[in-house]
Amino acid sequence: MSTLAHQALPLARHAHAAERMSLSGITRAFGARVAVDDIGFAVGAREFVAVLGPSGAGKTTLFRCMTGLDAPDRGTVRVGGIDVRDLHGRDRRRIGVVFQQFNLVGRLTALENVLAGRLGHLSAWRGWTRRFPRADRLLALECLDRVGLLDHATQRADRLSGGQQQRVAIARVLAQQPEIVVADEPVASLDPATGAGILDLLRTLCREENMSIVCSLHQVELARDYASRVIGLAGGRLVFDAPTTDFDEAAARRLYGTAGDPIR
Amino acid sequence: MADPGAANRAGAALAALERAEHEWGPRRVRLWVILALVLAFYAVSAWLVDFDPGRLATGLPKLWHWISQAWPLKVEELPLFLLRTAETIAMAAIGTTLAVVLAIPMAILASRNITPFPRAYAPVRWFLNALRGIDSFVFALLFVAAVGLGPFAGVLGIALHTWGSAAKFFADHLENVNLGPYDAVRTTGAGRSTAIGFALVPDVLPVFASTSLFWWEFNVRASTVLGVVGAGGIGQELKNSMDLLDFARLFTIIIVILVVVTALDQFSQRLRRRLV
Repeated sequence: MSTLAHQALPLARHAHAAERMSLSGITRAFGARVAVDDIGFAVGAREFVAVLGPSGAGKTTLFRCMTGLDAPDRGTVRVGGIDVRDLHGRDRRRIGVVFQQFNLVGRLTALENVLAGRLGHLSAWRGWTRRFPRADRLLALECLDRVGLLDHATQRADRLSGGQQQRVAIARVLAQQPEIVVADEPVASLDPATGAGILDLLRTLCREENMSIVCSLHQVELARDYASRVIGLAGGRLVFDAPTTDFDEAAARRLYGTAGDPIR
Repeated sequence: MADPGAANRAGAALAALERAEHEWGPRRVRLWVILALVLAFYAVSAWLVDFDPGRLATGLPKLWHWISQAWPLKVEELPLFLLRTAETIAMAAIGTTLAVVLAIPMAILASRNITPFPRAYAPVRWFLNALRGIDSFVFALLFVAAVGLGPFAGVLGIALHTWGSAAKFFADHLENVNLGPYDAVRTTGAGRSTAIGFALVPDVLPVFASTSLFWWEFNVRASTVLGVVGAGGIGQELKNSMDLLDFARLFTIIIVILVVVTALDQFSQRLRRRLV
């Protein structure tokens, strides 16, 4: 199933679980402002879900709840049946995250940043001393090769261009081998061509590595090109959830048309 | 396997990495040389300062003995101590204010981006570095000799040293200020000084005010010792008590300083938070 050459490492795979992540009744308010209001949906295996919605619709808040970086006021996020809030330590590796601002460690090399994806699989002292087993280093190099950056392995991450940095971040997720990848605006800081390359890579993770993808996007066209399913948010509510083929012009207009409404 | 060459490529890259890691290249030699130099530096330093934990072990009981002798505290002299502490605070306040007032024009001369006399830049920076390099304690020592014993010498010492520090800080801040709004105001036809007053001053004033408060607070702490050289304030009483081996008096003074400085820190911190 995987195209990674090296398979000696125990990979945390739950390929049989049809439902990778499920959200129910997620509500999060900041003071009087309700950012996310009673949102629920489930993500199955091999799905590429695009989350669309105007600025301020609650996408970032929802994603922070999904990754456990923020806790919802009400509702639960489950990954493989386990509440995200109960995913401690090692188990957090089951959710991979791709950030808008890449969030690489700038002073470390590209290779070391990819090896960060292995930290959830190894003992803590490996991270402190940055000494990794040979097998993990080989895997990390293969991941870098998969994103086309093998030649940049020993370069410092902050010397790479934005697109290259995001590709390193994807190699990091690839090395982490999660069941589901959550990407919050992964192409918002990149030019169109570079962004398309990143989405190509995410689609590869979905098709060849059996990871489910949940990805928020700004551009409707990108969602149409890459996603298998579209979820629309407006004013903190879920207003659309259907296969991409059903997301027509009228649906897009309805989604973004509500942006000016005084719902919020 | 989508790409049969991938495993080979990664394997070759890893082999090259491992070879580089085992090689004694110039970078690796340099690292070890630096490490050896740092160790030598600490060894020489420890030797120069007679670093001897044994002496601390024998000295600590003595200190403990003094503290036990310090009870009861000399509360009857509290009014005098408070007066001297007020003197210290006043010295710091007047010295810092003088320094800040003198520092603002110097800071403008010492900022490359807004100075009207670029040629004065280097000498001014030099002058400020010299002021900064000499501690207020050393200045106070000189002024005690020149203007006589008492807090006035302390004020001059604080003012000179803080002048250098404050002007350098202000200048560094001015050099990093965003000149966009200033340029925008200049394009409206406003003159140079109007543009500075309208666009730059509102931007930098809160930072200047808050750091000035910080220096005042810092100088109160620093000037508690100025009395040791005869430059006024609570330090004088501190030295007298130590000379007389009057530990009850000594610890009373230390406690007064601690309470006053802590209260002042809190007050200044709250004020600064409201400024920025």
